[in-house]
Amino acid sequence: MPQYKAPLRDMRFVLYELMDGEAITTLPGFEDFTRDVTDPILDEAAKICEEVLFPLNRSGDEEGSVLENGIVRTPKGFKEAYKLFMEGGWTGIACDPQYGGMGLPNSVVTFVTEMICSSNLAFGMFPGLSHGAYVALKAYGSDELKDRYLPKLVDGTWAGTMCLTEPHCGTDLGLLRTSAVPADDGTYRISGTKIFISGGDQDLTENIIHLVLARLPGAPKGVGGISLFLVPKFLDDADGRPTIRNGNAPGSLEHKMGIKASPTCVMNFDGAKGWLVGEPNKGMRAMFAMMNDERLAVGIQGLGLGEVSYQNAVQYARDRLQGRSLTGAKHPEKNADPIIVHPDVRRMLLTARAYNEGCRALGAEVARALDHAERHPDPKKKAEAEDYVALMTPIVKALFTDLGFESTNLGVQVFGGHGFIREHGQEQYVRDGRIAMLYEGTNGIQALDLVGRKMPAHMGRYLRSFFHPVATFIETRQASPGRAEFIQPLAKAFQRLQQASAEVARRGLGNPDEAGAAATDYLRLFGLTALAYQWARMADIALDKVGGPEDSDRFYSAKVATARFFMERLLPQTGALLSTIMAGSKSIMAFEEAAF
Amino acid sequence: MGEIAKVAVIGAGVMGAGIAAQVANAGVPVVLLDIVKAGAEDRSAIAKGAIEKLLTTEPAAFMSKSAAKLVTPGNTEDDLGLLADCDLIIEAVVERLDIKQALYAKVEANRKPGSIVSSNTSTIPLATLIAGQPESFQRDFIITHFFNPPRYMRLLEIVTGDKTRADAGATAAKFADFKLGKSVVFCKDRPGFIANRLGVYWMQKAIVDAFDMGLEVEDADAIIGRPMGIPKTGVFGLADLVGIDLMPHVGASLFGALPPTDAIQTTNRDLPLIKKMIAEGYTGRKGKGGFYRVNRDKGKAKETLDLVTGEYRPTRKAQVDAISEAGKSLAALLTHDSKHGKYARSVLVATLVYAAELIGDAVDEIDSIDESMRLGYNWKSGPFELIDQIGVDMLISLAEADGFTIPPILAAAKGKTFYRVEDGRTQMFCADGTYRDLKRADGVIMLADIKRASKPILKNGSAALWDIGDGVTCFEFTSKMNSLDPDSLTLLSKAIDTTAKNYKAMVVYNEGSNFSVGANLGLALFAANIAMWSQIEMLCAAGQATYKSLKYAPFPVVGAPAGMALGGGCEILLHCHAVQAHAESYIGLVEVGVGLIPGWGGCKEMLGRWLTNPKRPGGPMPAISKVFEMISTAQVSKSAAEAREMLFLRPTDGITMNRYRLLADAKARALAMVETHKKPEPFTYQLPGPTTRVGLDAAVASFARMGKATKHDIVVSGALSEIMAGGDDADVTRPKTEDDLTNLERKAFMALVQHPDTIARIEHMLETNKPLRN
Repeated sequence: MPQYKAPLRDMRFVLYELMDGEAITTLPGFEDFTRDVTDPILDEAAKICEEVLFPLNRSGDEEGSVLENGIVRTPKGFKEAYKLFMEGGWTGIACDPQYGGMGLPNSVVTFVTEMICSSNLAFGMFPGLSHGAYVALKAYGSDELKDRYLPKLVDGTWAGTMCLTEPHCGTDLGLLRTSAVPADDGTYRISGTKIFISGGDQDLTENIIHLVLARLPGAPKGVGGISLFLVPKFLDDADGRPTIRNGNAPGSLEHKMGIKASPTCVMNFDGAKGWLVGEPNKGMRAMFAMMNDERLAVGIQGLGLGEVSYQNAVQYARDRLQGRSLTGAKHPEKNADPIIVHPDVRRMLLTARAYNEGCRALGAEVARALDHAERHPDPKKKAEAEDYVALMTPIVKALFTDLGFESTNLGVQVFGGHGFIREHGQEQYVRDGRIAMLYEGTNGIQALDLVGRKMPAHMGRYLRSFFHPVATFIETRQASPGRAEFIQPLAKAFQRLQQASAEVARRGLGNPDEAGAAATDYLRLFGLTALAYQWARMADIALDKVGGPEDSDRFYSAKVATARFFMERLLPQTGALLSTIMAGSKSIMAFEEAAF
Repeated sequence: MGEIAKVAVIGAGVMGAGIAAQVANAGVPVVLLDIVKAGAEDRSAIAKGAIEKLLTTEPAAFMSKSAAKLVTPGNTEDDLGLLADCDLIIEAVVERLDIKQALYAKVEANRKPGSIVSSNTSTIPLATLIAGQPESFQRDFIITHFFNPPRYMRLLEIVTGDKTRADAGATAAKFADFKLGKSVVFCKDRPGFIANRLGVYWMQKAIVDAFDMGLEVEDADAIIGRPMGIPKTGVFGLADLVGIDLMPHVGASLFGALPPTDAIQTTNRDLPLIKKMIAEGYTGRKGKGGFYRVNRDKGKAKETLDLVTGEYRPTRKAQVDAISEAGKSLAALLTHDSKHGKYARSVLVATLVYAAELIGDAVDEIDSIDESMRLGYNWKSGPFELIDQIGVDMLISLAEADGFTIPPILAAAKGKTFYRVEDGRTQMFCADGTYRDLKRADGVIMLADIKRASKPILKNGSAALWDIGDGVTCFEFTSKMNSLDPDSLTLLSKAIDTTAKNYKAMVVYNEGSNFSVGANLGLALFAANIAMWSQIEMLCAAGQATYKSLKYAPFPVVGAPAGMALGGGCEILLHCHAVQAHAESYIGLVEVGVGLIPGWGGCKEMLGRWLTNPKRPGGPMPAISKVFEMISTAQVSKSAAEAREMLFLRPTDGITMNRYRLLADAKARALAMVETHKKPEPFTYQLPGPTTRVGLDAAVASFARMGKATKHDIVVSGALSEIMAGGDDADVTRPKTEDDLTNLERKAFMALVQHPDTIARIEHMLETNKPLRN
């Protein structure tokens, strides 16, 4: 039986030690979130995730959501779980108290998100998308729309979706065709077909609020002619209750590789009544408000799956007795040694662990920056935080989902043939994790966003928000006793990243294909260096506590040991990545198209 | 051919006064006369007032304040005697034949025999002007048509008549070329000559079509602008600039003077909205506003006139898909299937056909028309160059489809191009169907010609080294804006080695619009943003080392700037053995604007120059203060003459008035230095050390108290004062070497470049092109 235990100890380390969690209370609106408030919230989140969501993960995958008589039915137990989830206030933890939310800092919410993703990614899609709709509507909706829809989205009575993709266009939304025709009453009639709509229909909530990108009559071509509309599943009846079907319905469900419990709908809009959100032709702006939020959350999905897979792999490696250690029996009292004695198994486990804990720290730091970007009273600090979030968003999204996928695959590998068997649960994480590398902009698109937009913007200003703190950290810590084994590898990777950045920027100016060819490797190099920075910081803190009274559970010892493993065994990839990047685009672009 | 040693200008309006100033800029004495103002106590008040005004106009009319002393004011009643020793008398009075002719009689009575008389008329034919004048006057009379402002516009149209003596035009042209720096185009005696005739046609056509085809003002300017190599003011922006009221004026005289069959008549249309604008004082920038305006009632909101409603609305960005979709292809823009494509085609095809119609009428050769539009209207390419871009055959087919009769020269060029390169020489197509070499004026050397005919000795992405003959090399910056980057320095270093081995002398010169705007700030900022401090320090050190090896090169190096030479571009000049500068050279060490100090030896060289300046005795302190002030306030010379006063140029450095003659002059100077070239003696610096710093810092602090220096100014000035003082361990008994000074520069530079406020300044400069006052 698969298992999941929320990694609260590590989360608290990140929140309170690595990030000085209580400093968050100095931000306006966060005054109340002292440790004695946030700690129980994390405990409660762990409880509902471990006890309610996680047990439905396997069964939800087996059963899947189905479309029956034009209505989507979610797997058994989802309705009840959603009710508990909603009643616990979890749908609104990150939302503004003005609309009934809990108003938790992003840097706390990110841990709750991780727990949800670990325990049941498909379930997490429903509240996740509602939150995306909440973000866009809150940022760009009129007061009237906000007052009408936000409280219900926040308390979870209604859910939200994002309807962007159409059969012929995904990445290039400029091509989209769904139309919006103004009606006499100031609303619009939306017609068209949207695909890949997660939660496009379901039986969990009494209404669904679709946010739909569409074109107004005569709108300019391309992305400059796209507007955003709010289109509910049900319209109000005379009593003000949502009972009248609006002109939209799920046409079919996609049959897919993973997240099977999450219904991925083809949505047909046929003269559905909708309301304009924000200004005409400015839909992309509103779309990006939710997109950036979602990209960070998708990154956390990768982390969540990597974590749960790792936990089960560790358990299996301890339990599975098979053969003997290469250097002689370690457990002679047993018939065989547990496979955890093997260097290669340990390599796999430590790789996943080092990625997971590194990503958790980095993800939390980006979430903290998002808090600063949203609330910091000093405009300079606020602007710096905005730069940092902009820079790190594609990295968190692509790196975390790539590494999460790698970790879940290692998780299968540790199980050997049993990893391939459904009942052990490990293969589901691989399948579920695969989508995270694709949606909200494929990881290739994330890499292009990094080299094509984030890197050159303002002559590298966004980069400054990462490079300067790291340079300062290296400079101030390199002479500290015992730190060299962590600082030196970081410094080396950092130099590689500097060199690659200068080179990609230079070459990309003359030939955009050069930047395009370097993008994915550059993002990985950047990501690993960012993880190395987090690992060096974590080691820096943990070193002082190793062997002390606080280390009775060996938490700090393990932290330092994992940091060492990361620096010695994972970070050297940066050398190969730099070589690859420096090789340039020639061998990629010279290949004749017909020869493929 | 006679020399022109003294000039008179009669008429002290904007044009006349401006012409007089430019004559004075050339170092030639000039008499400026105007009428006696009724009731004025001072009978020369108008001319004197004009000189006063010249001293304050922006952009400056005089290249140095001292040039104003060469202008002698007077009036046309008492001072005609002053004409007696003038070799050239330029009439620039109001465009009225009766007034001009009455004046000519007076001039004739007072001038010396053989002096040249010219009119600055823009519309009245020469034949009309000289009608009834004595034979002697007719022999000496020409038209010299300057463009406004006369100092800065390089075009001069000259018209000679049948009766003009053979050498009058040539003498005036030579004077205009060498002394006034003008590019002379000889025109036939036809109304509007070349530039204004074609320019008015083009503007009228573009405006009328914009009304007819329902274009937004911004879109029209975006189309009739950059894509065609025309300044971004386009047509409506240009109308605002020259004055909307002036257009019907110039138009009317052209329409009246040209025959009814001339194509220009088709653009003669009354536009009620424009009439209304003029009547209500909306005459452009000088009036209440024009097609664009800044609405001060709405917090300086930028507004644009709606051509349909006649009301102002908020200015918006041009929205022309045709431009982005056409890319760099002018042909694709003209054939773009959209309103905007049709507009581009309607205006440009008509304008280019009209340009071809002027061949044989206004002038015989195509390059005269191209030069006129380049220098008179600041087009990047002349009409025939534009036709080559589109393709002659393509233009013919477009024009035929639009119902134009194809002018003979265009028809003759079918299947050909108007310009071609044969054996490295540029040739132009002539009316007789043959190609002829494009001729430069005698003595002119253009690097563009050399580049066309030869291969570089050395080259990389940012610079090149050329053999310009007689054992002289030319080091050329080729990067964007001629900014300096590691590649520029690498090539300069190689160029020094190569020249030392195989050549006699080197000229540092290029034909960009600016000599160099200094170090590539974008690269520097990117490196700073990714904290590559060691790389930045290496670049700083490399610049110092390279410029040092330039200074101590075994052969003479002559710097030849034109336009801006800022920061690192100024510093390279400071390390040359001599400079031959174009008169319009804007030189300065502006690093503080981006929170830095000159780090490639600029502080060191300027300090050396001022410390050894014989005109400034009294110990080191005044010299140090002067250099400190110039660098800490980023002073830039507004001309080569001013650069000389600031010691960016030495007293012995030369100034060339004509841009086209700069390379030849620089090369000649370099060759003249070959025989006697010695490596310069290194400066030794006796600097007072910390006491100086205290003084300089106190001065900055008092500026800060007055609100004239910002927080970061104090930081930057502090870094500069340390260099000026020679470091904290300096005193007069322990002289410092040049290397000591550059080490101080580098140290200060590295401290500043890591400062967040400096990074903010660099970023702001790159993003807005304006300095950040933080």
